[in-house]
Amino acid sequence: MSIRVQRLPYGVGRFSAGFWLFILVLLSVVGWGIYAYSRQLVEGLVVTGLRDIGSMGGAAWGLYIAFDVYFVGVSFAGITMAALIRLLRLEELRPVSRMAELLTIVALILAAFSVLPDLGQPVRGIVNLLRYARPQSPFFGTFTLVISGYLFASLVYFYLDGRRDAALLARIPSPLQGFYRLWAAGYRDTPAERERHHRTAFWLAIAIVPLLVTAHSTLGFVFGIQSGRPGWFSTLQAPAFVVMAGVSGIGLLLVIAAVFRHVLGERERLHEGIFRWLGGLLALLVLVYLYFTVAELLTTTYTGHEAEVRLTVALLSGPYAWLFWVSMGALVLALVSLVLPYVPSLVPVRVPSFQPAFTRAAGLAAAGAGLVLMLYRHSPRLVPVAGAGGPEPEWVGWVLAGLAVVFVLSWFPLFARSVVAAGVAGGLLVNVAAVGKRLLIVVPSQTHGTLLPYGPGSYTPTWVEYSVVAGLFALGTLLYTLFVKVFPIMEVAEER
Amino acid sequence: MRTAWTLLLVVVGFGLQAVSYFFLAAPLGVPSSPVYSNPRVPFAPAVFILGVMLVFLAAVVYELLPESGGRTYRETG
Repeated sequence: MSIRVQRLPYGVGRFSAGFWLFILVLLSVVGWGIYAYSRQLVEGLVVTGLRDIGSMGGAAWGLYIAFDVYFVGVSFAGITMAALIRLLRLEELRPVSRMAELLTIVALILAAFSVLPDLGQPVRGIVNLLRYARPQSPFFGTFTLVISGYLFASLVYFYLDGRRDAALLARIPSPLQGFYRLWAAGYRDTPAERERHHRTAFWLAIAIVPLLVTAHSTLGFVFGIQSGRPGWFSTLQAPAFVVMAGVSGIGLLLVIAAVFRHVLGERERLHEGIFRWLGGLLALLVLVYLYFTVAELLTTTYTGHEAEVRLTVALLSGPYAWLFWVSMGALVLALVSLVLPYVPSLVPVRVPSFQPAFTRAAGLAAAGAGLVLMLYRHSPRLVPVAGAGGPEPEWVGWVLAGLAVVFVLSWFPLFARSVVAAGVAGGLLVNVAAVGKRLLIVVPSQTHGTLLPYGPGSYTPTWVEYSVVAGLFALGTLLYTLFVKVFPIMEVAEER
Repeated sequence: MRTAWTLLLVVVGFGLQAVSYFFLAAPLGVPSSPVYSNPRVPFAPAVFILGVMLVFLAAVVYELLPESGGRTYRETG
């Protein structure tokens, strides 16, 4: 083995006080999520906002399923990027390969945990799925193939890809030496071993790509083949799910890469070319998704069935309009952010300077308005004081959205100068849009899409659902952070 | 030996998937009776998943098992 490593790289094995504080905060949120779930286990699903469709005017699938779809979507980017880097020999992107693989594994674990709270009896649900599932059902593809087969395939890929670095690190005396030796399993990075690994990784990548397209398509089919549910029944569901999965996953990968570029100070390895490449791919996928959305809306509003039209009206100008337009606005803003770094060189335009004070003011105003809105909606004491006794006036939401847009726009001068900042903004915005779009796919078709003569329903998540989802995000961040401290998040460079 | 084990795992994995999908799970098509809604053999879907896992496990076997003829990967290169 020609490469020599003097000490554990990329912050592995080094723990600061700030790190432990961060872990403590994450553990607290995970603990709060577990407490909330325990209330649900003891008292039943009645503590959530989930209710029967039609007869109880509610939605049987809500926040949990929306986030299951979101997490499965995020998992797409990881292993896809790793496979594409391998198959297309995209050496420039190799530094983000392991980040992407780890993102897939963590996201799939979170996806599995998102489904469980939606089940009244989780254990029975798992056993019955493996015992009675029908291969014809897209549920089989989604909740068994995705979460077991796809996760297993990703773990195998991840394990084999990390053996070289494990072998390198096993030579350095450290408390983790035994772990690295175990992972390396005798690997010595000889030319023969390298050649064998390339061959295996190539075939694994070939096998994983169709598996992941199948997996994400079946998740789309869970909704898309339900002919009695307007809003879900659509040929575009499966391809749109695959594209949105790519959007959310690559967006999150951009954010993670920027965080490590900053935290580890690895500006050379995580160079701007990576952000330019990922940002370009993300912009392309956002464009495709916007095209799908326009095609879908045009079809349903132009020639749609009465129920389809009713649902579309609820989305465009009814109770879900704020979420729909925030999601679409976030996608458009993300697209503009990703394109901005190229504008000054293409068009002779003077970019104004970035004004942090103005940005801070707009951000604080938006956060304050959001807090007031949340308190108004969820505090039973505040509603009578405000005198409304029901939902807040519509303009409050639009003011909040306007402040948020001003906040994002105030960053644009910075995005025009930095491809990394533009990538982070684009990544965050598409993930806001992804969560919104997942909720819009799951919920409105249940509350406003019934073909039976029921009136429109509603769904408002409770603190239990918000807490469980927050706990899941904290768990994912915790797993990712801990892993980064025991194994290099990037392939150890040749020159180290 | 290594190649043989790898191929065996791949073949067994795909075989398990095919057998569970076509012969052990609930029959394909519209069931003529509710009896046919359930798998013909309990846990047939789990057998399918096991098949998928075996196929991917073949990659681990291919990388970790020693070379044929007594030579190990430690001695090559």
